[in-house]
Amino acid sequence: MNADERNSLVGLNLDEKIEYSKKVIRDSIERFDCDKITIAWTGGKDSTTLLWLFKNVCHDLSVPMPKCMFIDEGDVFDEIMEIVEKLKVEWKLNVVICKNNDISDKAGSLGGIVKVKDLSERNKEELKKINFDGDEFPFEPESYVGNHLMKTVPMKAFIEDNGIKSLATAIRWDEQEARIAESYFSPRNNPEHTRIHAILHFKERDIWDNIHKNSIPFCKLYYQGFRSLGARCSTKKFSDIPAWEQDLENTTERGGRGQDKEAIMGQLRDLGYM
Amino acid sequence: MLSFFKKKKKKVVIIGLDGVPYTLLNFYIEQGVMPNFKAMMGEGSFHKMETSLPEISSVAWTSFMTGKNPGEHGIFGFMELREGSYNMYFPNYTDVKAPTFWDAAGVQSVVLNVPQTYPARALKGVMTSGFVALDLKKATYPESAYNYLNSINYKIDVNASLAKDNVPAFLKDLSFTFEKRREAIRHFFQNEDWQIFIGTITETDRLHHFFFHHALNDGEFHGEFINFYRKLDTFLGEMYEKTKKENALFLTCSDHGFTPIKTEVYINKWLIENGYLELTDKDEGIETITETSRAFCLDPSRIYIHLNGKYPKGTVKDSQYQDLRNELAQKLKSLVFNGDKVVKDVFFKEDIFKGHYADKGPDIYVLPNYGFDLKGTFNRESVFGITHFRGMHTYDDAHLFISDKLSSSNFKIEDIAGIVSRHID
Repeated sequence: MNADERNSLVGLNLDEKIEYSKKVIRDSIERFDCDKITIAWTGGKDSTTLLWLFKNVCHDLSVPMPKCMFIDEGDVFDEIMEIVEKLKVEWKLNVVICKNNDISDKAGSLGGIVKVKDLSERNKEELKKINFDGDEFPFEPESYVGNHLMKTVPMKAFIEDNGIKSLATAIRWDEQEARIAESYFSPRNNPEHTRIHAILHFKERDIWDNIHKNSIPFCKLYYQGFRSLGARCSTKKFSDIPAWEQDLENTTERGGRGQDKEAIMGQLRDLGYM
Repeated sequence: MLSFFKKKKKKVVIIGLDGVPYTLLNFYIEQGVMPNFKAMMGEGSFHKMETSLPEISSVAWTSFMTGKNPGEHGIFGFMELREGSYNMYFPNYTDVKAPTFWDAAGVQSVVLNVPQTYPARALKGVMTSGFVALDLKKATYPESAYNYLNSINYKIDVNASLAKDNVPAFLKDLSFTFEKRREAIRHFFQNEDWQIFIGTITETDRLHHFFFHHALNDGEFHGEFINFYRKLDTFLGEMYEKTKKENALFLTCSDHGFTPIKTEVYINKWLIENGYLELTDKDEGIETITETSRAFCLDPSRIYIHLNGKYPKGTVKDSQYQDLRNELAQKLKSLVFNGDKVVKDVFFKEDIFKGHYADKGPDIYVLPNYGFDLKGTFNRESVFGITHFRGMHTYDDAHLFISDKLSSSNFKIEDIAGIVSRHID
């Protein structure tokens, strides 16, 4: 997709955006069976919006709702589990919780040391694939190793074990620059499946407008000033006012997310700042 | 227009030398360590230069690239608090509020490793960001430049964490990073079309932070210094000769000087001991400030008055603001360590910051005497202390070399953008 097409989609009004997303979802239901589609749900505002869109389309078409995959990376906010449990009941969702228990059990707690020799063969294989050759590592969900073992590995296992053909995720073009090249349907290898990106053209502001307009339930952390939710240990409030009241247009959505911030702080600390 | 009527483009080459003091260069020139630089001095002019306040890289290089005071370019430090909160964030290139001289000129430019330019943005030419930059891909424009840098194992920065526990590994990494830096500078100089070329060396600053106590004397690491500066001199000589062939103006400059540390001074601990600051958990820092607190400090020595209406727990009234600043200034000026005065000068924000964003600056800025490294750390047990850091920044001992005889001699870092712009115009 070129920049002009992208810009015209991002420039649509909210109702038009919703219609466009529903069309993408209808197309994906036609291409793949509902039971071969999975929706990746984090309990955050974007994937909950995606779920809401799927729910509406499935209702209109009188087809069953695809199942939802929730990845527990080992350090989930209680507030996120709360909204997941609530919507699971209210929206009658089939939610599968995926967790790499082999790692979290061996670690004991956050920051606990995991010895490679104690791990399952599958996890050992995965470590080799990312060229990790140490004997041990600390359990940190958003470190390079942690992210791979706790997020990528359970997701891959889920897709493979359930013969999933397509995975719907809630990424958006305006979320971060790395997303700009994404398209609505994106084929992936290893394992082979198609990613469905039905809300690419939504801006952060559209998400909130739609949530409020349609009274979609959302995680209460957003009230407290969180803008984007990741693992508890590495996600901070962006401000003390509710997310949707913040200056969404001029500040960074992922500014409170830990990976970059921790890395910057580390570099500054090494030079005697902080 | 026919091409032979076109005015020949005037070119500029700047080699930035992070943290290289005027006095140290002079000393090494006298000692015979830097023969190439000595020869360059004979053909151009060499000046002591004042840098920005605060005298740290992010602020100073932003003044360098915009030609502006922090009140106009909006960068006052490596970290800031979000408005109306105690959430810390780290201003990056997108927070710089004034245009850089290369963007303003709109000419073909190569901008390598200038601090505070992360993430890189598109320009007419090539850019790779300097410190603090996390991801080389996001730090580099265009992608072909990234592919090249990646292929040579280019490093954005030295791994400074090694200096604390593994000095040999640190020195090896420093040497490797410096080698890659020079390789990248040579490559883009040779293979790109440019009218403005900037290549900055960071390794100087990194060496100084940990070993500056041996820069001038025969200590354990003096040999490292001499070796490093000999290599640097060879590189500068090489770049100077290449620049002459291009008929370009050649500059070297630094963003601040350096001097050995006598002691670190923890301003927040001083504020706590003097009853101006209270934290319920000092390890958690500013987020645990109480309503009884009247002031706090962010690195390096930016003091903020805890004003009511500006901060969630601020209780200082506007009517108390000026008296409180006067009181703090007076007490800080009389702070003494082993009989020596710690503080050289205390500035109020309106004295040193001019421009639209001046109000975002600290209410008070404290400039120390040489040897007293002021810090904004929150969790120290005493006001004074020593760590593994051995060098600290200085404000008045940066340098500027120009391959041209200049009549003026009082230079500040924000003058450089004007020198470049006038030359290429």
